[in-house]
Parts: sequence; C-alpha cells; structure tokens
Amino acid sequence: MKLQVYDRALFTLLAALLATLLMATVSVASFAQERKLVITGASTAAPLVAEIAKRFETQNRGVRIDVQTGGSSRGVADARAGISDIGMVSRALSGEEQDLKSHLIANDGMSVIVHKTNPVQALTREQIIDIYTGKITNWKDVGGKDGKITVVNKAEGRSTLELFLAFFKLSNRDIKAQVVIGDNPQGVKTVSGNPGAIGYVSIGAAEFEAQNGASIKLLPLGGIAATTENVRNGTFPLSRPINIVTKGVPQGLQKQFVDFATSQAVTDLVKEQYFVPPAR
Amino acid sequence: MPLENYALAARAEMTRKSAPIFEKLFTTTAWLSALLVMSFFSWMVFDIAANGFAKISWSFLTEAPLSAGRKGGISTIIVSTLLILAVTIVVAVPLAIAVAVWLAEFSRREGFAARAIGITLDVLAGIPSIVFGLFGNAFFCVFLGLGFSILSGGLTLACMVLPILIRATEAGLRAAPNEWRQGGAALGLSKATTLWQVLLPAAAPAITAGLLLGIGRALAETAALIFTSGYVDRMPASLNDSGRALAVHIYDLSMNVPGGDQAAYGSTLILIFLLIVINASAIFITNRILKARIQPK
Repeated sequence: MKLQVYDRALFTLLAALLATLLMATVSVASFAQERKLVITGASTAAPLVAEIAKRFETQNRGVRIDVQTGGSSRGVADARAGISDIGMVSRALSGEEQDLKSHLIANDGMSVIVHKTNPVQALTREQIIDIYTGKITNWKDVGGKDGKITVVNKAEGRSTLELFLAFFKLSNRDIKAQVVIGDNPQGVKTVSGNPGAIGYVSIGAAEFEAQNGASIKLLPLGGIAATTENVRNGTFPLSRPINIVTKGVPQGLQKQFVDFATSQAVTDLVKEQYFVPPAR
Repeated sequence: MPLENYALAARAEMTRKSAPIFEKLFTTTAWLSALLVMSFFSWMVFDIAANGFAKISWSFLTEAPLSAGRKGGISTIIVSTLLILAVTIVVAVPLAIAVAVWLAEFSRREGFAARAIGITLDVLAGIPSIVFGLFGNAFFCVFLGLGFSILSGGLTLACMVLPILIRATEAGLRAAPNEWRQGGAALGLSKATTLWQVLLPAAAPAITAGLLLGIGRALAETAALIFTSGYVDRMPASLNDSGRALAVHIYDLSMNVPGGDQAAYGSTLILIFLLIVINASAIFITNRILKARIQPK
C-alpha cells in the first residue's frame, strides 16, 4: 500500500514535468515578438561573432542574435537561401559568390609551424611544397636533423585547407599527409607533441599558444616573420579575411549589426579571439 | 562402465597436471586485462580531474560564459544540456517501452513486421551521429519549422537513443519466463495488467541499463546537436530557443577557441559529474516505478 502511494507521487511528478515542457513550448508563440537575427557559417569566426553579437544585444534592447556554426560554405549557402540573415565566411568570396556582399571584420594570418626543438629556421615556398607532396620526407634534406617528417594536413572542407592549397597552388590529392586534423588548436597540439611534425594554423592562435608555452615555432614565409603585426600591415603573404556576408545591401537591423561589427567598438573583441583587427 | 571411469580419471589427472601453468596463465591474463582497462579509465579521469579541478568553483557553475567560454561559467550550458536531455527522455522512454512491448508481447517473433522493425532498429543503432544531426536539421529544424532549438535537439537525440532503449527493454521482456504470462492469464488478469504488474517490473533492470546507455550517448553527443540545438550560449527562455549543450561547448573550447583548454577541462569534469548524478537518479526512479511492484509485502 505504502509503495503505491510512492508510485503515485512519482507519476504525478513526471506528469507535471511533461506538462511543464509542453506548456513551455506552447507559450513561446506568445512572446516571440522581439527582433531577431540569425547568423550561420564558419566555425573559426563563430566565437568572435558570438561575442560581438552579445555586446550588440546589451546595447540594443529587445534584439536577439543567434549564432550557429557549420563552415564557410554553409555561411554562403544559408545567406544566399535566406535561411540566415548574415553568413560568416573565413576567406574571400570566390567568383561565383559575388552575388553576396562581404564585410571585413577581422584578418587571420596562417603560419607554417614546426616543433620548437626543430633546428630549421625557415623553409622556402618550394621546400614546403615538396614536403607536402611527399618529395622531401626527411628533415636533413632541408637543413635539419636526420629524422622523418610528419606532415599534418587539414581535413577536407576547412577553409584553412583551401587557403593553403590556393596559396601554394596545390591540389589536395597531391598532398601526402600522415596526420589529418580539424581545427587550429588541434593542429598546435599535434605539432607540439611530435618533434618531427610540420603543420599550418592561424597565426593568432599559434602566437598565443607559443607565448603560453606550447612547443611550437612559427616559420617566416618569404623572409617575412609570421606575426600578427605583419598580418595587420598586409606584408605577410599567407593571410585570410574573416568576413560576414549579406545577400544584397544590408538593411534595418542587419545593417545596424554589420555597421557595429565593422566598427572600432569591437576591436578589443577581435584581439581577444587572437585575430588581427583590420586597419580602420 | 569401468572404461568410462578410466577415461574420466585420466582426464581429471590431465587437468590437474596442466592446471598450475594453464590456470596461472589464464588468471594472470584476466587480471592484466582488467587492470589495463581500469588504468586507461583512471588515467583519463585523473587527467581531466587534475587539469579541470582548478577551474571548478561556485561561480563557474552559476555564471554565464564570457569571452567565448574562456572566462565566466557554464550555467547556461548546463541548463540547456538538462533541457535537451529532458526532452529526449520524455519523448524516447514511453515510445521505446511501447514499441518494445509490441515487439516482445504482441508480434509473432519470426513474423515479417517484427523482423523488419528489428533489422531497422539494429541499422539505426549503428548509424553515425552526424547523420542523425543532418536528418534532425532537415526534418525538425527546417521541415517542421522548429528551427535551431532545444526541442529539435532533444527530438533528434530521442531518435538516436530509441534503438538502444527499445532493444534493451525488448530483451528484458523476452527474458521473463512464459509461465508468468500464463500465470497471469490463469488468474484472469488482462494482458495490460500482467504487463504492468509482472513483466515490466521484471524487465526493470534491463530498461534501466538501456536508459543509462541512452543517457550516456545523449550527454556525450556533439555532432547531432551542432546542427539541431545549435551554438547559442544564452540562457534558454523556452524549448524553442537554441541552446548549446555541454559536449558542444567542450568541443568548441578545445577546437575553435585558443586558450580555451582550461575551461574545456572544467566543463568536462562537470559533464562527468552530471553523468554520474543523472545515472544514479535514473536507477533510483526506474527502480521505484517498476521494480517496487513485484516485491512481496
């Protein structure tokens, strides 16, 4: 008898939980009257844009901005299809994407990184190409110690990979990689844990990790040091823009946000994410 | 007869002779395997605890994330995670029990329908979660118009854990001896009463086991949630809001946020803690509801 009372109490509790969930769902319709923007796209840009969006929300009451990730291609597709109000693209728009308007919010340089203990101080463009295509497989061929080179490449679909391939005029099929990784921090972790590795990651991320004790070294490119400063002043060759894109000229709330994201008011946020603020 | 006795004696003798070496080898292997698995697990937990413990504080649990999660806490993330899990359980458990009851009690075991559903479930159980994520995005977010929301995420996870739950419950029901069903019928109990009073309580341990597996899978899920419940780390006001789950937060911190490692470790520690607490309460609740019925006064 006692047990049944217990059961009934528990059932009531569960039923109440279910009812609450249902009511919560139904009640949404009633107060969805706020202004809302949806932003989707590059996962590299998402943390930055989410921070900008938060600051924008606090300055504009009744505005809600939802940031979703999924990659640059998704950013383009969603903005074009109208699924999102603004797309995030961590590269320059290509020829077929000129129907969209891009707005520069930050710069991101890419640097070739090797392990800190690696004696190699610089690699030429040709040497990097030969290493990535498997023609050079030992560090001693490029002035280092005798030891196998572990080539770290990015996974298909990453904009960093596209940028890297375009810059070195390579096709992904030519690349002979031992390790395929996803995002920047994973690249830093892989190279710092493997004395024979070579990889490429965002300069902002690499510079921060190197200053915080990660065992990596940023190699200069074409004689120019891989620093955020050289990305900002435009001298570092391997860099990419972080854009937000809109279908046509931004209007209303969309325009307000684009103006805010490209203004001086977010410079500190750009730096906080280890990107390089554009010269304004 | 004497011949058989001889054979038996010879075999016993052989076993006794080979026993010391074989036994020792066997025992050592078993112990070493167990030790290996345990040490892997403890090494992982120790690594997470050692790196994440410094991050844990009251404010880490009660504040919203700041600076892309590097600073601040994970309160909003915990709330979103619990809401997503609640939707998953509320939708998946009743449905799973109903399907399992049909499979075990109402369908012919070798019948076409039962086999078709069985195969479907086994295939579904092996599908990578990203496929569920893309399906959830296409079906719940776009087709049903739920958008990036906790509801979409919870429903997607429900689809994902259904096969595990159904199979576990079904196995539990099938394990109940047929005499119990016949006993129920002999007493003039309806099929529903027999199920509710005898069979489901008997299957309770299996249902609990399935539930624990399902919860574990749901809490650890990243790929299925990025495209359904989304990336927004604001405090959700309703189930129609996008909300970032703990696993997504950990993934983002360790993958996209330079300098997010510390917070990622802290969040992982909380996730493990949450998993233990939720599992313990799931065991408690299913025992109360189901098992209690079968116990004699």
